[in-house]
Amino acid sequence: MAAFLRFEIVRSLRNVRFVVFIAGFPVLLYLIYAKQTGTSQGLTVAAILLVSMAVWSGMGSAMFATGPQLAKERQNGWMRQLRVSPISAPRWFAAKLAQGLLLIIPGFVLLILLGFGYGHVHLAAGRVAALAAVLVLGVIPFCVLGLVIGLVFDGQTAQVAQMLTMLVLAFLGGIFIPFSNLPHVMQEIGKMLPSYHLVQLGWNAVAGRPLGVAHMLALGAWAVALGLVALWRWRQESTTA
Amino acid sequence: MITNNKGATGPAVAFRDVVKVYHPDIKALDHVTFDIQPGETVALLGPNGAGKSTAIDTMLGLRAPTSGEVRILGGPAAAAVAAGQIGGMLQTGGLPEGAKVSELIGLFRQLYRDRRSTAELLTLAGVADLADRRVEQLSGGQTQRMRFALALAGNPELLFLDEPTAALDVEARRHFWRSVETIARQGATVLFATHYLEEADANASRIIVVNHGRVIADGTPAQIKAFTATRTLRFSTPAPDPSELLKLPGVTDVVVNGDAVTVRTGDADDTLPALYALGRPITAMEVGGGGLEEALIALTSADNGPVMERVS
Repeated sequence: MAAFLRFEIVRSLRNVRFVVFIAGFPVLLYLIYAKQTGTSQGLTVAAILLVSMAVWSGMGSAMFATGPQLAKERQNGWMRQLRVSPISAPRWFAAKLAQGLLLIIPGFVLLILLGFGYGHVHLAAGRVAALAAVLVLGVIPFCVLGLVIGLVFDGQTAQVAQMLTMLVLAFLGGIFIPFSNLPHVMQEIGKMLPSYHLVQLGWNAVAGRPLGVAHMLALGAWAVALGLVALWRWRQESTTA
Repeated sequence: MITNNKGATGPAVAFRDVVKVYHPDIKALDHVTFDIQPGETVALLGPNGAGKSTAIDTMLGLRAPTSGEVRILGGPAAAAVAAGQIGGMLQTGGLPEGAKVSELIGLFRQLYRDRRSTAELLTLAGVADLADRRVEQLSGGQTQRMRFALALAGNPELLFLDEPTAALDVEARRHFWRSVETIARQGATVLFATHYLEEADANASRIIVVNHGRVIADGTPAQIKAFTATRTLRFSTPAPDPSELLKLPGVTDVVVNGDAVTVRTGDADDTLPALYALGRPITAMEVGGGGLEEALIALTSADNGPVMERVS
């Protein structure tokens, strides 16, 4: 499985579009907006944005490994080739999950460096570690969401579906615009989304507040629910194929 | 477990009364039965849509049969796949973008416990000069060679090749079959699907002919070819005499319609000189047949010959 993981990571990092998406895009947004002054709930704009962008990058990394990549490889027959090799479906998924989690690192490291150097965010090592832990565990439901997208859509469509899903999650979850600026109805919807819970956990971690068990439970529930959908689609595909 | 004539081990592939229905009206496999013994190189020959790919997918565990029994190396296909005992080259299949040829081969080797060396794989598949190339830059033929390398990575006991040479040029084809021969000599059992009789004849020790989801013949290449040697000669000659024409060597059938004559022969090379030796004026000569389609027609309409095993 280690060989498979290394292979997947190497080739993903060669995908320019993916690297721009998970590292270039959040870094650019950070450079543009982090200099705004102001604080909210004890956090500077630079710190708030650091978490938002890290969450965006983490979501993208998690969903790419199982989403558009899987959709394309299901379509072009690569998945069939893998199915006649000894790698089992659970090991394949474990590797994909690990891929999604490990590929959070480049974007996260870049953003932390920018946050400290450019945004003058001062975080104790413990809080950086807490944020990292929140991200690593918190993107698991997004890996599974990617799996659902990858199993439902075809190659090109999956890419669009992932983009749209991420934008909706980011806007309604309060990642791109402050949650309180959203119309009431959208806030109600937003509060149900995994992106909302993940970014809240991130902000709590950075602010040194209690993380919030409700947020963790919500993310757990999303992972389980999406996991069931993915399992159903996976079974459907392997038996009718 | 079924014992073969050596009494030692069972067949590499046991395909018993297998039916695969995709749609109530379409039987991709219609009660197909055959065994493949360890060490055999067998061609599954048939036109497009005959059921070859369905049969191979079933043997690889990619599809479950609607009914019947499939045993691979004495157990279910999934077990043989999980144990890394079989290699499969599917009819079509892309490769994962962003990977280099050498990386992909390296990965596949590591998925198996028993593995061939990277150098050997590069040589066998004829992709040594492409080792540093990204897979998305490969041509169709090069991709097909890569898929061959992947199928061999685990040093499989049993190798399935589904129309493996479709995208290859003449030189690559020759190299490919030389490699298959090498692997077969090392003891691997090989089953390949093709719709070219010539390919089956040149590279298999046994040919199973399938059409419309049924096995219509199963025998040595010589036995199968005897059925396909039939040629149809069409020509015009004034006042043809059927009895005279029937006496020509190889001729099995004569149809006369005015000046137009249709002759069926099992050996056109003998018939033609003898026909011209009659000294009759012969015009508009056409020689037809001999292809797989013709052979299938011949096989389907022929009575059960000594070597032909009909399954219905």
